[in-house]
Amino acid sequence: MDVSQYLEIFIDETKEHLQSLSDNLMVLEKEPENKDTINEIFRAAHSMKGMAGTMGYKRMQKLTHVMEDVFSEVRSDNIKVTADLVDVLFRCLDALEAYLDNIMNSADEGTEDNEEIVNLLKKTLDGGASPEEETAKPAAGQESAEDKNESEDDQEKRKYKNFKFAEFERHAIIEAGEENKNVFAATVYVQENCLLKAARAFLVFKELENLGEIVKSTPSVQDIEDEKFDLDFSICVITEQNEEKVREAILSVSEVDAVYMEKLDTSIFEASASKEEETTKSDTKEESNATASQAAKAAEQKKAPAKAAGSKPVINRSVRVDLEKLDELMNQVSELIIAKNGLVSASEHDASLSSQNFTEQIEYLERITTNLHESVMKVRMMPIESVVNRFPRMIRDLSKKLGKQMDLFMSGEDTELDRTVIDEIGDPLMHLLRNSADHGLESTEQRIALGKPEKGSIWLNAYQDGNNVVIEVQDDGSGINVDKVRDKAIERGIVAPEQAQTMEDKEIVDFLFMPSFSTADKITDVSGRGVGLDVVKSKIEGLGGDIEVRTKKNEGSTFTIRLPLTLAIIQALMIELGEEKYAIPLGSIQTIEDVPIEDIKYVQNKEVIHLRGSVIPLVRLYGLLDCPPREEEPESLTVVIVTKGDKLAGLVVDNLIGQQEIVIKPLGKYIHVEKMISGATILGDGEIALILDANALV
Amino acid sequence: MMDSSEAVVADTKQYIVVKIDNEQYGIDIGYVDNIVRMQRITRVPKAQDYFEGVINLRGEVIPVMSMRKKFCLDDDVITGKTRIIILKTDQQALIGVQVDEVKEVVTLSESEVDKITYDKKQEDNNTYLSGIGKHDGELISLLDINAVISEEE
Repeated sequence: MDVSQYLEIFIDETKEHLQSLSDNLMVLEKEPENKDTINEIFRAAHSMKGMAGTMGYKRMQKLTHVMEDVFSEVRSDNIKVTADLVDVLFRCLDALEAYLDNIMNSADEGTEDNEEIVNLLKKTLDGGASPEEETAKPAAGQESAEDKNESEDDQEKRKYKNFKFAEFERHAIIEAGEENKNVFAATVYVQENCLLKAARAFLVFKELENLGEIVKSTPSVQDIEDEKFDLDFSICVITEQNEEKVREAILSVSEVDAVYMEKLDTSIFEASASKEEETTKSDTKEESNATASQAAKAAEQKKAPAKAAGSKPVINRSVRVDLEKLDELMNQVSELIIAKNGLVSASEHDASLSSQNFTEQIEYLERITTNLHESVMKVRMMPIESVVNRFPRMIRDLSKKLGKQMDLFMSGEDTELDRTVIDEIGDPLMHLLRNSADHGLESTEQRIALGKPEKGSIWLNAYQDGNNVVIEVQDDGSGINVDKVRDKAIERGIVAPEQAQTMEDKEIVDFLFMPSFSTADKITDVSGRGVGLDVVKSKIEGLGGDIEVRTKKNEGSTFTIRLPLTLAIIQALMIELGEEKYAIPLGSIQTIEDVPIEDIKYVQNKEVIHLRGSVIPLVRLYGLLDCPPREEEPESLTVVIVTKGDKLAGLVVDNLIGQQEIVIKPLGKYIHVEKMISGATILGDGEIALILDANALV
Repeated sequence: MMDSSEAVVADTKQYIVVKIDNEQYGIDIGYVDNIVRMQRITRVPKAQDYFEGVINLRGEVIPVMSMRKKFCLDDDVITGKTRIIILKTDQQALIGVQVDEVKEVVTLSESEVDKITYDKKQEDNNTYLSGIGKHDGELISLLDINAVISEEE
């Protein structure tokens, strides 16, 4: 049978298992005795083995098989978890990830055998367990499964008893009996929260077909394929294998909750028709029984998955949607908002339309479109968790590699960001974390000498701040050596020495974001190759965000990333400059001020204003945007105060038009645009206004 | 002309003939998405100087360049005949070019087109041309669209 249609499920599930393995191994490293974790790892390895086997990925199967064996021994206390073992297991995980990568790219697992890891694991196995125990193991595993079955044993669950065999089926069974083959009847239950029951059933069938021949199934194969069954299906299989093997094969398919089976006595089938009637009778009886006990059963079944739920994320009621479809939906919403803006502006200009009723309806429409936009935006949001959950592992590896002790503390993993941003943000964050681990934190000896805790700490905090999401990467290391950066900048000829002396530390530190600027004395393969911070910066700016760094000597540094919550629709203040209209994102506006001309002061030949205790530089948009200047300077200026982080700037504008929800559109491919223009938007009357990026102006 | 149906089967191409200054240029119709009348163009500060700005075409923002400015001719004089031709490029992006007048659509067979054989780099204007077409005794310079729009200043 063709398994390619299940490739996607396989990939998704393997990813999930790998993540669970990685998380649990991290726990295991800290608490080598944690039984729950060990069981969880065993289970994950076991399911992966089964899945890989079904999909025909032999190498992956082999590796997971050894893993499973090791954990089976750990479970029965024959092997102790050591740091070495955890290391090997992590390597194992990497190897599995590599297989998965190959599979995702080419549907083929590749040719790497990972002999070394397999051998290492086997060695652990040999060291810990005598061969007898080894062979005893599968039986032990079986027993526990048996126990479970026995304890919940319940005749109603053995639905295969309701089998009605047709003449030819009975014939086949009798024949099998004559050939001394085993005939098993089994009822397989899939987990209640199983999403693709048909696929599971298919995998069960496939497993069994490897062992023998399936002669009967209820519901019919066709119905099972069409998912026309509840949580269980019954099968009758003829095989040369024993019961253990068959049970194992069925249980190797993941999301199979339980299997009830027994060996059928073929001789029964020789005595025929009268028997059949009986079964029919008992059938109807069972059925009524079944409905009666439905509730009890449901409760019971709920219990079983609950056991596994401890580690496995609860599956939400969700629909998988192609991102493209969401984009399309978002575009439609954008169009709707443009149309709404058109109506609003038409009603403003046409007196005949401005009756009260009409305005009310327009307001109503406005509310709906805003809500609709928010809903669609929320659909596109994903928790940042999917990106950051691989970092603990990375820091652990770095800690080993660099010979520094460090811990990663994360918070706000549930902060949500637009899906497109999520896809892009992983690499920059990884860069920053590596930076912190390699350059930020001092070596253990240095830390002791400085009287700091031996173990370095790195924090990754994410939280929402108004219309932005802020992600901070912080370390308690030595901080950035400002003098070193200054020297380097002078050496590179980026600034003149005299100029560098007058610059503030903060400005100096910003040099780090310039291309090919690295202060690392020695180049390690972790970081310090001079590609990094500039790439991080350009990537984040590409997402419409910005990055800042604060540092304090011997106390550490903090990189702060700000990202917009949405990329498509924002609230903006519309302003006028001469004949032209521009939009300034509301998120970056702090206040709007009327400033009399005489209040303008000069600092270093630059215009500034003094406002509530802070000195704010003025930005003349006229010059910046090449607008024809006004003939005469008015007596007071309208100044829009914008912020970026804790920096302020005052933008001088002619007129304020008002607040508006705007749809951001790109300017097209061929036209070069300055960074201060982040896009364009279409106004209600069809006119285009450019959007000013306050971040580039501050 | 009698066997025009056969001519279509042979290697022919259709061109939109436009007037820029005193010359006629041909644009391969395969690139043309749309032709629109002159409309309000929003200036984009600090863009390349041959870009007039951007227009709103059915809800999309599309950059518009002036062919006159691109060819370093006299400034545009906007008349009732001025048109913006919306081109769809190989990269699936839209771009508008502003021309003085759109005249007609002609069908040229390969024999009616002379390839430019001399070194393209020697004369500036010719780098934008893919050939010269002859139609009704007139010459039409055929524009190499990708060269016109992708060339960096």
